[in-house]
Amino acid sequence: MSGEAVARPMLILKDVHKFYGANEVLKGISLDVKEGELVTFVGPSGCGKTTLLRLIGGFTEISAGDIILDGKRINDLPPNLRDTRICFQNYALVPHMTVAENIGYGLRINGWPKGKIRARVNDLLEMVELQAFGDRMIDRLSGGQQQRVAFARAISLEPKVLLLDEPLSNLDANLRLIMREEIRKLQRRLNITTVFVTHDQFEAMAISDRLVVMRDGLIEQVGSPIEIYERPANRFIASFVGYVNFIDGRISLIDEATRNTFVETEYGRFEIALEQADIAAGDEVLIVVRPEAVTLSLDVGIKRPNVVCGTLKSYMYAGSLAKCTVEIGTMKMIIDQYNPSEAHHFKQAEQVAVEIPHRVHLLKKKKQA
Amino acid sequence: MAPAELSLKLKAGSGNRVKDFLNANLVNILAALLFFLLALFLLYPIIAVLVKSIRGPSGFTLEYYRTFFAKNYYYRSLFNTLLLGAINTVVCLVIGFCLAYMTTRGPYPLRKPLKVISLVPLIAPPYLFALSLIILFGRNGLVTRMFDLHWQLYGFAGVVISQTLAFIPLAYMMLENTLMSLNPNLEESAYDMGASEATILRTITIPLMAPGLLKAALLIFVMTIAEFGNAAILAGRTPFLAPDTYTMITGESDFNMGSVLSVVLIAPCIIIFFVHNYLLEGKKFTTIGGKPVASEPRKITPVIKVPLIIVTTAATGAILICFAVVLAASFYKILGVTDKFILANYLDFTSNQAIANSIRVSFIAAAIGAVIGVLLAYVIVRGKFFGRSFIEMASLSGFALPGTVLGIGYLLAFSAEPLKLTGGIMILALNCVFRFLAVGVEAGISKLHQINIEIEEASADLGASFLTTFYRIVLPIMFPAFIAGFIYTFMTAIVSLSAVVFLVSPGFQLAAVKIFDAAVYGEIGIASATTIKLILIVMLCLAVLNYVTKKTRLGSGLKQPVA
Repeated sequence: MSGEAVARPMLILKDVHKFYGANEVLKGISLDVKEGELVTFVGPSGCGKTTLLRLIGGFTEISAGDIILDGKRINDLPPNLRDTRICFQNYALVPHMTVAENIGYGLRINGWPKGKIRARVNDLLEMVELQAFGDRMIDRLSGGQQQRVAFARAISLEPKVLLLDEPLSNLDANLRLIMREEIRKLQRRLNITTVFVTHDQFEAMAISDRLVVMRDGLIEQVGSPIEIYERPANRFIASFVGYVNFIDGRISLIDEATRNTFVETEYGRFEIALEQADIAAGDEVLIVVRPEAVTLSLDVGIKRPNVVCGTLKSYMYAGSLAKCTVEIGTMKMIIDQYNPSEAHHFKQAEQVAVEIPHRVHLLKKKKQA
Repeated sequence: MAPAELSLKLKAGSGNRVKDFLNANLVNILAALLFFLLALFLLYPIIAVLVKSIRGPSGFTLEYYRTFFAKNYYYRSLFNTLLLGAINTVVCLVIGFCLAYMTTRGPYPLRKPLKVISLVPLIAPPYLFALSLIILFGRNGLVTRMFDLHWQLYGFAGVVISQTLAFIPLAYMMLENTLMSLNPNLEESAYDMGASEATILRTITIPLMAPGLLKAALLIFVMTIAEFGNAAILAGRTPFLAPDTYTMITGESDFNMGSVLSVVLIAPCIIIFFVHNYLLEGKKFTTIGGKPVASEPRKITPVIKVPLIIVTTAATGAILICFAVVLAASFYKILGVTDKFILANYLDFTSNQAIANSIRVSFIAAAIGAVIGVLLAYVIVRGKFFGRSFIEMASLSGFALPGTVLGIGYLLAFSAEPLKLTGGIMILALNCVFRFLAVGVEAGISKLHQINIEIEEASADLGASFLTTFYRIVLPIMFPAFIAGFIYTFMTAIVSLSAVVFLVSPGFQLAAVKIFDAAVYGEIGIASATTIKLILIVMLCLAVLNYVTKKTRLGSGLKQPVA
């Protein structure tokens, strides 16, 4: 796990702004990235994540704010003088050079002697498991192999910060899973501070120490994958990382000793273990119910706490899980039933009981002005 | 619908064999008709030239070729032409590269203006540059008189300079296209690794551009050696193949030698065409595609920046000056010699009549050309028959053929019954149609490639006949391509000179020929005013095209015309 020792910040962004003409694409980004940490910028397209990455790399000029790398302000340095190296989405490998020449390009440019280049390139080839491919031309490699070459080239000069711009988006689904593990393994082994950009929230959660969720040029939330998934700061983040059912409600009572809370909704009262301190009795809230957190049963008619009845509208069995839609009053709730052992019963059911868990996240609604 | 009903319907649709057969044959009939037209108006004239070059009064002879290779004069003509082509190609590529580099990699504020100026020569007839050089550096030229110089504009240097300026847009467009298609991340990656601008150029950009550079070089070479106007106006006593062909026909009426010169002029074109295909075979560098990112400006080092700025400033400056002096000269009898500001040049009767004639010819050419272009495009893209690739090559080749060759070819092919067309307006129009057919065909092909063939198949599946489908589905979709083909053909035809100069009759003068004659005879004011009028007409066409494009959202992929 990260954060065992108190790592020093390797990269600091201070109130970073970027304008394209009158269009402000980054509206004040502040962030610390610790040494050896893998931080992922994630967000819908157009949120500014790639622009922010290019800004750190020096390919795009910063409009206001500061970028500090290892204690030095690098705002005005061109990319070649910054100790950051980028790995582009399309790999940007030079087609008229071999694998080894591509990996050694940076070393050659920086005047390394031939022998040392060869040794370093061999090390790197071994590291990305392409020992036998040094003399191949780029177009004779598969997508995954090209990805490794690009990665090897980017780390060849041992940058202080490695920038990865959607490095896996050109790979097919299976290869993505393999490559993301490999990247993570190498990143940990080399203890290289890394900024990763992706629009794939699941990839982001799987690979990162911390996620930076962005929208419209602003950071919405920074946190570990668990924090982001289980305790999203707002409605946008809650629905960005996976599907979510929202139930409108109002806090009627908080037991200050146990933090046990009653939430009154259209569908009845729910009893919830409150974790947030900023919610008080009388607040309007949203109950955040993940599809997999709900327990579905056929025990209709027995009154239990946190259980409501509804009509099963669809039940799509898909082996490891069944996707269900349950209509409760005016609400359509999406429910994932994992390990659906009684599928044949549910398939015929009309009325089902839906149990909302006791520990569930609440979002405080902003007061309308 | 019940399954039984559905299967019944399907059976009825596929059972109509006769109709299916006819539908398929309609495409073939159309193809045959187009093939006949191409053969008659494109191949036959070229064959006529070939035949004329080897047939004397007493049958087959190689005497004319022997004369060509025996006479020092022709030898020099060939040498000059090839040297001109080589110099022009290199200079145009250098200038085109600098301009393209600046507009794709340079600072944002400079990109748009540089691009516009680089493309401005496209709206003018290419011989505008010969005219402006005469105004500036001719015997009575502004610069010549101002500094009392005793130089000789007419000759090799004059031709090289005017041709270079005329071919900047072509070089620029091709190289810009190449640079734009490069993945900017490759250069950024090298930059990121610490490479300087010069190193990036040497190790990344230029090697990646190699196929594009080669393609541009070959095309510019072929087009410059075939270009007639500038050479004919400025060559003086220096022999070049294209203007010599003209003198041979109009001056000495020696059709045999004229044909020989034409064949010699086509030869490099054909050789280069095959070299080009051979060299570019499988030479495509493929890179993994991602989202295309526009190149952001880099901090370019002075070693590269200074030459870039000098070349681009000089080139764009020269282009602007040439336009400015022609505009100024149009208001004087002879700019710099007579001081009186006059509008008479614009009111000149012969000039206006020539303009009117040009509009008539170009309009007819555009109407025929656009129809044939759309039909040809359809047959090329959708047809499946023997000889399809031949039709494609033939319809696109008129553009690359030297205009003088098609000029002589038409004279030879259509001067006798039953195909006598010479002296009329149709021979001019048809010549323009088949020379510039590529314009309409390209517009049609690029439009058709945007249409999913399944739309047509869906229509056929619903029971529509081929004609109905063509009329209801294809034509409406192709309409913007038709308009584009019409306007491009019109614009290209109205400024073209090299072929029609052989075909005009004394009673029916065209504007391009009028400018040519006026420039040669020193009527600078008339020549300039007529040129400006042509420019205005072309600008009007572009405005109309722009309007239509916006209205119909005619997709990109249309090639700019090359005059």
